[in-house]
Amino acid sequence: MERTDPLPPEIELAQLLQRCAARDSAAFRVLYDKTSPILFARLLRMLRRRSVAEEALQDVYVRIWERAIQYEAHRGRALAWMVTIARYCAIDLMRRERVTLVGDDALAEVADENAAEPGALEKPDRFDDCIGQLSQTTQQCLTLAFVEGRSHDEIARLTSSPLGSVKSWIRRGLISLKECLSAERQTV
Amino acid sequence: MKLDNRELLDRLAAEYALGTLRGHARRHFERWLVSPQVQVMVNDWEQRLAGLEPALQKITPPAKVWQAIESRLDLGRSRRSTVRWLAIAATVLLAVIGLFTLQPSSPKLVATQQASIEADPQTIYWHVEVLGDNQELDLHVQNVHDLPPGKSHELWALPEGGAPVSLGLLPHTGDHHRVLNAAQRAALAGSKQIAVSLEREGGSPTGTPTEVLFAAPLSRA
Repeated sequence: MERTDPLPPEIELAQLLQRCAARDSAAFRVLYDKTSPILFARLLRMLRRRSVAEEALQDVYVRIWERAIQYEAHRGRALAWMVTIARYCAIDLMRRERVTLVGDDALAEVADENAAEPGALEKPDRFDDCIGQLSQTTQQCLTLAFVEGRSHDEIARLTSSPLGSVKSWIRRGLISLKECLSAERQTV
Repeated sequence: MKLDNRELLDRLAAEYALGTLRGHARRHFERWLVSPQVQVMVNDWEQRLAGLEPALQKITPPAKVWQAIESRLDLGRSRRSTVRWLAIAATVLLAVIGLFTLQPSSPKLVATQQASIEADPQTIYWHVEVLGDNQELDLHVQNVHDLPPGKSHELWALPEGGAPVSLGLLPHTGDHHRVLNAAQRAALAGSKQIAVSLEREGGSPTGTPTEVLFAAPLSRA
């Protein structure tokens, strides 16, 4: 079942994480109830198979419990911190399970994914302008890697491009994005 | 690859955060994450790339996932009983090891595990050796990590599924030897990593780390 009710407030998640760092298992349960549907949906997006995503979700919350002490409350972004852990767990699981997911339908799905739902994470200032300066192909490569968890090889196959080109588009795209975002920060 | 090559490191940090650094290269890079410098690079990239995050959805996972997490982390039992169980297990193990290694003339224990607390692979601040069956520690100061006045560095065991347990303050010079008590041994037996925190002089006032500066994995000596 999919729902689109709003995300839990950041301050509440940050406090729950701090209580987890102090080994409060009741707080951990509340955190799980509030965030597991979000992280499960995010893992399914990368891993596709429910059984694999369920296994990954276990790893994610074991990691969150173990690393709650490393979460720095003053930096905020509690949900972004947890989503990052989920992405990294999915990548680790792909490595372990040798999950390769190349399907012809993947590109169509990515193209549909820019709806402004109430549940979006905060973007860096002027991110849309900076990403818009990159070529369509580069944007597509970065999205496939970040959102879908695709490897260089998979991206090359999905975009019917040479592997070397994919690697260099991604490398140059990352450099341009960094320069653009830091330039914007200096002029503000 | 040298860690002083900032440009290369930043590129690796970018591809790590993006997810395209894979396989052996990813595992190798993860070992550098104990370095605050590398951590900052990765955090910066995570923030930059957060803009690529799609609108989040919600799909409720089945109840069995939470049950599995609860059992993996042993959350059903109280922490006290876990620590006691670990202490008993450690004592039994100690007794068994004792039976097989009866050497009354050589009380010096051998290093079984070790950890390096480092800024990067070239700058190790402390080298920690666990001797015997988590009975004693040898602490070697290799470089001095800056310590603000009125502050101390404290060493912690991070038992899986339990609260951090202090292993005492870290020295700032020389080599030190420390005998651990039962609670510290039990905590260390359940830990895969140790951490260093910044505390007021004399150690943490609360019994939990105030500000964790470093964490380092324990590996076989």
